[in-house]
Amino acid sequence: MTMPTEIMKVKICMAGEGAVGKTSLIRRYVLDQYDDRYIATLGTKITKKSVTVANPGGPDPLQADVILWDIMGTSTVRELLKEAYYHGAQGILAVADLTRRDTLIALDEWARSIRSVAGDIPTYGVVNKADLQKERALPPAEIESFFRQRRWPWSYASAKTGAGVPETFVGIVKHVLSSRS
Amino acid sequence: MGIERPDTASLVRQRLLANADDVDALFVLAALRAQEGYLEEGLTILDRVLRIDPRYPGAWRFKAKLHRMQGETAAEQSARRRAEDTER
Repeated sequence: MTMPTEIMKVKICMAGEGAVGKTSLIRRYVLDQYDDRYIATLGTKITKKSVTVANPGGPDPLQADVILWDIMGTSTVRELLKEAYYHGAQGILAVADLTRRDTLIALDEWARSIRSVAGDIPTYGVVNKADLQKERALPPAEIESFFRQRRWPWSYASAKTGAGVPETFVGIVKHVLSSRS
Repeated sequence: MGIERPDTASLVRQRLLANADDVDALFVLAALRAQEGYLEEGLTILDRVLRIDPRYPGAWRFKAKLHRMQGETAAEQSARRRAEDTER
Protein backbone atom coordinates (compact mmCIF):
# COMPACT_ATOMS: atom_id res chain seq x y z
CA MET A 1 0.00 0.00 0.00
CA THR A 2 1.36 3.49 -0.81
CA MET A 3 1.69 6.08 1.93
CA PRO A 4 -1.47 8.11 2.52
CA THR A 5 -1.23 11.62 1.12
CA GLU A 6 -4.28 13.00 2.80
CA ILE A 7 -4.98 13.05 6.54
CA MET A 8 -8.36 13.87 7.97
CA LYS A 9 -9.88 14.03 11.45
CA VAL A 10 -13.07 12.08 12.01
CA LYS A 11 -15.11 12.47 15.21
CA ILE A 12 -17.20 9.39 15.93
CA CYS A 13 -19.70 9.29 18.80
CA MET A 14 -20.31 5.93 20.42
CA ALA A 15 -24.04 5.55 21.09
CA GLY A 16 -25.87 2.93 23.12
CA GLU A 17 -27.36 2.12 26.47
CA GLY A 18 -25.34 1.48 29.60
CA ALA A 19 -23.39 -1.80 29.70
CA VAL A 20 -23.75 -2.61 25.99
CA GLY A 21 -19.96 -2.60 25.76
CA LYS A 22 -19.03 0.75 24.17
CA THR A 23 -15.91 1.16 26.32
CA SER A 24 -14.96 -2.51 25.89
CA LEU A 25 -15.20 -2.26 22.11
CA ILE A 26 -12.87 0.75 22.07
CA ARG A 27 -10.48 -0.96 24.47
CA ARG A 28 -10.39 -4.08 22.30
CA TYR A 29 -9.89 -2.09 19.12
CA VAL A 30 -7.22 0.30 20.38
CA LEU A 31 -5.35 -1.78 22.98
CA ASP A 32 -6.44 -5.31 22.03
CA GLN A 33 -7.43 -5.84 25.66
CA TYR A 34 -10.57 -6.96 27.43
CA ASP A 35 -11.60 -6.73 31.07
CA ASP A 36 -14.58 -8.73 32.32
CA ARG A 37 -15.35 -6.30 35.15
CA TYR A 38 -18.04 -3.73 34.38
CA ILE A 39 -17.00 -0.17 35.17
CA ALA A 40 -19.64 2.37 34.17
CA THR A 41 -18.30 5.31 32.18
CA LEU A 42 -18.82 8.67 33.86
CA GLY A 43 -18.72 11.73 31.64
CA THR A 44 -16.85 11.07 28.44
CA LYS A 45 -13.54 9.60 27.35
CA ILE A 46 -11.76 10.40 24.13
CA THR A 47 -9.59 7.87 22.36
CA LYS A 48 -7.64 8.53 19.19
CA LYS A 49 -6.57 6.03 16.58
CA SER A 50 -5.18 6.45 13.10
CA VAL A 51 -6.50 4.19 10.37
CA THR A 52 -5.50 3.99 6.76
CA VAL A 53 -8.35 3.23 4.41
CA ALA A 54 -9.02 3.37 0.72
CA ASN A 55 -9.96 6.87 -0.36
CA PRO A 56 -13.41 6.84 -1.96
CA GLY A 57 -12.54 10.15 -3.66
CA GLY A 58 -9.17 9.29 -5.16
CA PRO A 59 -6.54 6.69 -5.99
CA ASP A 60 -4.28 7.14 -2.94
CA PRO A 61 -5.12 5.73 0.47
CA LEU A 62 -6.29 8.12 3.11
CA GLN A 63 -5.27 8.39 6.74
CA ALA A 64 -8.15 9.05 9.08
CA ASP A 65 -7.29 10.23 12.58
CA VAL A 66 -10.34 8.85 14.32
CA ILE A 67 -11.45 10.48 17.55
CA LEU A 68 -13.78 8.14 19.41
CA TRP A 69 -16.09 9.80 21.94
CA ASP A 70 -17.16 7.27 24.53
CA ILE A 71 -20.17 8.79 26.23
CA MET A 72 -21.77 7.54 29.42
CA GLY A 73 -24.71 5.31 28.66
CA THR A 74 -27.03 6.48 31.41
CA SER A 75 -29.75 8.88 30.37
CA THR A 76 -29.81 11.10 33.49
CA VAL A 77 -28.10 14.18 32.06
CA ARG A 78 -27.50 13.09 28.48
CA GLU A 79 -29.97 15.58 26.96
CA LEU A 80 -28.48 18.48 28.92
CA LEU A 81 -25.01 17.54 27.72
CA LYS A 82 -25.84 16.80 24.11
CA GLU A 83 -24.24 19.94 22.61
CA ALA A 84 -21.10 19.30 24.68
CA TYR A 85 -20.85 15.73 23.45
CA TYR A 86 -22.15 15.75 19.91
CA HIS A 87 -21.00 19.07 18.43
CA GLY A 88 -18.91 18.39 15.33
CA ALA A 89 -19.62 14.65 15.26
CA GLN A 90 -19.24 13.14 11.79
CA GLY A 91 -20.44 9.62 12.48
CA ILE A 92 -22.34 7.50 14.98
CA LEU A 93 -21.34 4.01 16.03
CA ALA A 94 -24.61 2.68 17.45
CA VAL A 95 -24.03 -0.25 19.81
CA ALA A 96 -26.65 -2.81 20.83
CA ASP A 97 -26.27 -5.82 23.13
CA LEU A 98 -27.28 -9.18 21.67
CA THR A 99 -28.64 -10.27 25.05
CA ARG A 100 -30.92 -7.23 25.67
CA ARG A 101 -33.64 -6.43 23.16
CA ASP A 102 -34.30 -2.94 24.57
CA THR A 103 -30.77 -1.86 23.66
CA LEU A 104 -31.56 -2.18 19.95
CA ILE A 105 -34.79 -0.19 20.22
CA ALA A 106 -33.00 2.52 22.22
CA LEU A 107 -30.65 3.28 19.31
CA ASP A 108 -33.33 5.38 17.60
CA GLU A 109 -33.40 7.81 20.50
CA TRP A 110 -29.61 7.98 20.60
CA ALA A 111 -29.43 8.70 16.87
CA ARG A 112 -32.20 11.30 17.12
CA SER A 113 -30.41 13.11 19.94
CA ILE A 114 -27.02 13.12 18.21
CA ARG A 115 -28.51 14.20 14.88
CA SER A 116 -30.39 17.05 16.58
CA VAL A 117 -26.94 18.56 17.23
CA ALA A 118 -24.68 17.19 14.49
CA GLY A 119 -27.14 16.92 11.60
CA ASP A 120 -27.96 13.88 9.49
CA ILE A 121 -24.60 12.13 9.93
CA PRO A 122 -23.81 8.55 8.89
CA THR A 123 -24.65 5.82 11.38
CA TYR A 124 -23.21 2.31 11.59
CA GLY A 125 -24.76 -0.33 13.83
CA VAL A 126 -22.97 -3.00 15.80
CA VAL A 127 -24.47 -5.82 17.84
CA ASN A 128 -21.94 -6.54 20.57
CA LYS A 129 -21.58 -9.65 22.78
CA ALA A 130 -21.89 -11.91 19.75
CA ASP A 131 -20.10 -14.59 21.79
CA LEU A 132 -23.18 -14.93 24.05
CA GLN A 133 -25.30 -16.89 21.57
CA LYS A 134 -27.00 -18.90 24.34
CA GLU A 135 -28.30 -15.69 25.91
CA ARG A 136 -29.38 -14.15 22.60
CA ALA A 137 -32.52 -12.01 22.99
CA LEU A 138 -32.54 -10.66 19.45
CA PRO A 139 -33.40 -12.97 16.55
CA PRO A 140 -31.21 -12.42 13.46
CA ALA A 141 -34.22 -11.40 11.37
CA GLU A 142 -35.18 -8.66 13.82
CA ILE A 143 -31.67 -7.22 13.80
CA GLU A 144 -31.47 -7.37 10.01
CA SER A 145 -34.86 -5.70 9.65
CA PHE A 146 -34.03 -2.97 12.19
CA PHE A 147 -30.85 -1.88 10.44
CA ARG A 148 -32.19 -2.35 6.91
CA GLN A 149 -35.19 -0.09 7.61
CA ARG A 150 -32.85 2.67 8.77
CA ARG A 151 -30.28 2.01 6.02
CA TRP A 152 -27.50 1.68 8.56
CA PRO A 153 -24.70 -0.72 7.63
CA TRP A 154 -24.06 -3.04 10.56
CA SER A 155 -22.10 -5.99 11.89
CA TYR A 156 -21.81 -8.34 14.83
CA ALA A 157 -18.86 -8.02 17.19
CA SER A 158 -17.53 -9.35 20.44
CA ALA A 159 -15.30 -7.14 22.55
CA LYS A 160 -14.57 -10.24 24.61
CA THR A 161 -13.18 -12.40 21.80
CA GLY A 162 -12.25 -9.57 19.45
CA ALA A 163 -14.33 -11.03 16.62
CA GLY A 164 -15.66 -8.39 14.25
CA VAL A 165 -14.18 -5.47 16.21
CA PRO A 166 -11.65 -4.04 13.70
CA GLU A 167 -14.18 -4.54 10.88
CA THR A 168 -16.74 -2.53 12.84
CA PHE A 169 -14.50 0.48 13.40
CA VAL A 170 -13.15 0.43 9.86
CA GLY A 171 -16.79 0.06 8.74
CA ILE A 172 -17.91 3.31 10.39
CA VAL A 173 -14.86 5.20 9.09
CA LYS A 174 -15.48 3.99 5.53
CA HIS A 175 -19.18 4.84 5.87
CA VAL A 176 -18.34 8.39 6.97
CA LEU A 177 -15.80 8.87 4.18
CA SER A 178 -18.04 7.46 1.47
CA SER A 179 -20.88 9.73 2.61
CA ARG A 180 -18.59 12.71 2.05
CA SER A 181 -17.47 11.88 -1.45
CA MET B 1 -27.54 -10.48 32.20
CA GLY B 2 -26.73 -9.68 35.78
CA ILE B 3 -24.76 -6.49 35.39
CA GLU B 4 -25.24 -4.20 38.39
CA ARG B 5 -25.60 -0.59 37.28
CA PRO B 6 -25.63 1.98 40.06
CA ASP B 7 -27.52 5.20 39.41
CA THR B 8 -25.45 8.13 38.21
CA ALA B 9 -25.70 10.20 41.41
CA SER B 10 -24.51 7.26 43.54
CA LEU B 11 -21.65 6.60 41.17
CA VAL B 12 -20.59 10.26 41.34
CA ARG B 13 -20.68 10.17 45.15
CA GLN B 14 -18.59 6.97 45.26
CA ARG B 15 -15.97 8.35 42.91
CA LEU B 16 -15.70 11.67 44.73
CA LEU B 17 -15.34 9.92 48.07
CA ALA B 18 -12.42 7.98 46.61
CA ASN B 19 -10.92 11.07 44.93
CA ALA B 20 -12.31 14.58 45.46
CA ASP B 21 -10.62 15.71 42.23
CA ASP B 22 -12.08 12.96 40.03
CA VAL B 23 -12.68 15.11 36.98
CA ASP B 24 -15.24 12.79 35.36
CA ALA B 25 -17.30 12.69 38.54
CA LEU B 26 -17.05 16.47 38.95
CA PHE B 27 -18.18 17.03 35.36
CA VAL B 28 -21.24 14.84 35.85
CA LEU B 29 -21.93 16.44 39.23
CA ALA B 30 -21.95 19.85 37.50
CA ALA B 31 -24.52 18.48 35.04
CA LEU B 32 -26.65 16.93 37.80
CA ARG B 33 -26.73 20.19 39.77
CA ALA B 34 -27.60 22.19 36.64
CA GLN B 35 -30.34 19.71 35.79
CA GLU B 36 -31.80 20.24 39.25
CA GLY B 37 -31.92 23.99 38.53
CA TYR B 38 -28.79 25.01 40.43
CA LEU B 39 -27.03 26.60 37.46
CA GLU B 40 -24.68 28.77 39.49
CA GLU B 41 -23.50 25.76 41.48
CA GLY B 42 -23.15 23.76 38.28
CA LEU B 43 -20.95 26.50 36.82
CA THR B 44 -18.80 26.65 39.95
CA ILE B 45 -18.18 22.89 39.76
CA LEU B 46 -17.52 23.14 36.04
CA ASP B 47 -14.92 25.85 36.63
CA ARG B 48 -13.20 23.43 39.00
CA VAL B 49 -13.22 20.79 36.26
CA LEU B 50 -11.61 23.25 33.88
CA ARG B 51 -8.95 24.23 36.42
CA ILE B 52 -8.00 20.55 36.79
CA ASP B 53 -8.24 19.77 33.07
CA PRO B 54 -8.68 22.78 30.75
CA ARG B 55 -9.20 20.38 27.81
CA TYR B 56 -11.82 18.15 29.43
CA PRO B 57 -13.97 16.91 26.52
CA GLY B 58 -17.10 19.00 26.08
CA ALA B 59 -16.56 21.10 29.21
CA TRP B 60 -16.19 24.48 27.48
CA ARG B 61 -19.25 23.82 25.34
CA PHE B 62 -21.23 22.82 28.41
CA LYS B 63 -20.04 25.98 30.17
CA ALA B 64 -21.27 28.03 27.18
CA LYS B 65 -24.66 26.35 27.45
CA LEU B 66 -24.99 27.05 31.18
CA HIS B 67 -24.09 30.72 30.64
CA ARG B 68 -26.69 30.89 27.87
CA MET B 69 -29.28 29.42 30.24
CA GLN B 70 -28.33 32.16 32.72
CA GLY B 71 -28.70 34.83 30.02
CA GLU B 72 -24.98 35.70 30.21
CA THR B 73 -24.22 36.34 26.55
CA ALA B 74 -20.63 37.61 26.85
CA ALA B 75 -19.61 34.69 29.08
CA GLU B 76 -21.36 32.29 26.71
CA GLN B 77 -19.44 33.64 23.70
CA SER B 78 -16.16 33.54 25.58
CA ALA B 79 -16.69 29.90 26.57
CA ARG B 80 -17.69 29.03 23.01
CA ARG B 81 -14.46 30.54 21.67
CA ARG B 82 -12.48 28.47 24.18
CA ALA B 83 -14.41 25.39 23.06
CA GLU B 84 -13.47 26.03 19.43
CA ASP B 85 -9.80 26.56 20.35
CA THR B 86 -9.78 23.35 22.39
CA GLU B 87 -11.42 21.28 19.68
CA ARG B 88 -9.06 22.49 16.94
